[in-house]
Amino acid sequence: MKKQSKDVKNRPTSSGRDSKEYFRPKSKKELKEILKNNDILTIIAGGTDLLVSNYQKLYKIDKWLDLDLIDEFKEVKIFDDKIEIGSMVTHDRLVRLEKIKELFPILHSAALDLGSPQIRSRGTIGGNIVTSSPAGDLLPPLLVYDAEVVIISDQEERKVDLNTFFTGPKKNVLKEGEILEKIVIPLKKDKSRGVWKKVGKRKALVISSISLALNIVFDKDNIIKKAKMAIGSAAPVPLRIKSAEEILIGQSLDSIDYIKVAKAAAKQISPIDDIRGTAEYRISVAKNITKSALKEVTK
Amino acid sequence: MEIKLTVNNEKRKVNVKPHTRLIDLLREDLGLTGTKEGCGKGECGACTVLMDNKVVTSCLVLAVQADGSEILTIEGLETKDKLHPIQQAFIDTGAVQCGYCIPGMIISSKKLIDQNLNPSDDQIKRALSGNICRCTGYVKIVDAVKQAAHEIKSGVK
Repeated sequence: MKKQSKDVKNRPTSSGRDSKEYFRPKSKKELKEILKNNDILTIIAGGTDLLVSNYQKLYKIDKWLDLDLIDEFKEVKIFDDKIEIGSMVTHDRLVRLEKIKELFPILHSAALDLGSPQIRSRGTIGGNIVTSSPAGDLLPPLLVYDAEVVIISDQEERKVDLNTFFTGPKKNVLKEGEILEKIVIPLKKDKSRGVWKKVGKRKALVISSISLALNIVFDKDNIIKKAKMAIGSAAPVPLRIKSAEEILIGQSLDSIDYIKVAKAAAKQISPIDDIRGTAEYRISVAKNITKSALKEVTK
Repeated sequence: MEIKLTVNNEKRKVNVKPHTRLIDLLREDLGLTGTKEGCGKGECGACTVLMDNKVVTSCLVLAVQADGSEILTIEGLETKDKLHPIQQAFIDTGAVQCGYCIPGMIISSKKLIDQNLNPSDDQIKRALSGNICRCTGYVKIVDAVKQAAHEIKSGVK
């Protein structure tokens, strides 16, 4: 009844054109060596974006650089004042890390909402950042947690504040030959409360129509000491909503003017009409999720 | 380039191109056509297989990246002449209509049942959230997973 796979001989000729260059460095050192000797490399992390955008034209890619075997890029290190997450940490692993759930609950929730189980198995935090989609699910949470990214090339290493990393839809400050090594998130003493909201046409496998991350620190009298808010899918880049943050700071729980904050948020975004919603719809939903996020966080 | 991997408990050695996807390796090079290609963009889940015990859409994994890994496809589930309880449950509950999504559905179900022998409806829906059925037979698919989990649990006792 069952056709054993070993009954079928390998048919290796059916897989297309002949080999080009495929680099799989096993360490940062090997990676730097490859970067030094090659220009124009197509970098693959989890592949969940790259293989989609190059569907049916994968054979056109000349030189692959696969980061999958670099163990240093898969490390998660916790220090007293910061946590470092390697760029090749998958969403699935991010979801399972107890420390992330405890210290950065919005990042945990966003990773849990991202794609599908299959996508979370392969997709990486570094890939989500480097793809730089305004709809990247992990980006608003990383922005409100003041994340920085460490970028390396064969020559140097630099640290960039994520707030200045994105320059447009799918554009960022990375230059040819630069690789995102890790994400650094400061650990703050203040206890904060956060909310993650993702609005889309279905729950799984959806590119958000709009998303929001809000993180608030209350002082002992329940006055808002610090407020960070970011919205995704509503501007050319995932955006910190500083106007709303300014209104929130200094307010007490019952004095928050939800409508004023929501209006400020709506004013700062610049959404477009696309397949996932019109600009008008997004502005309206931005106001509503701002209000519901505030209500949730102050409960 | 040559890669070595274990597919359904058999060691295989295959020559692949850098751009060969895991699904092409399975279907074309190894003749394992039980794994289906639907959208080719990771959105439908028809090509789902287990890679090192993780659910992946084999259209979004390069064959090279599967080097050294262990792959389980729908063909690897049955033993001798007996269907796997999950396969049997899908038939018994009438969860199969056109059948195209079922290999992926069953692989995702297996991953869930391996970890949880008492899945709730919500847990099943979440585990299968990356698999689309366009015959709209989800109710019976959820029934099938429950029945399979129940049978495997009774069998284990």
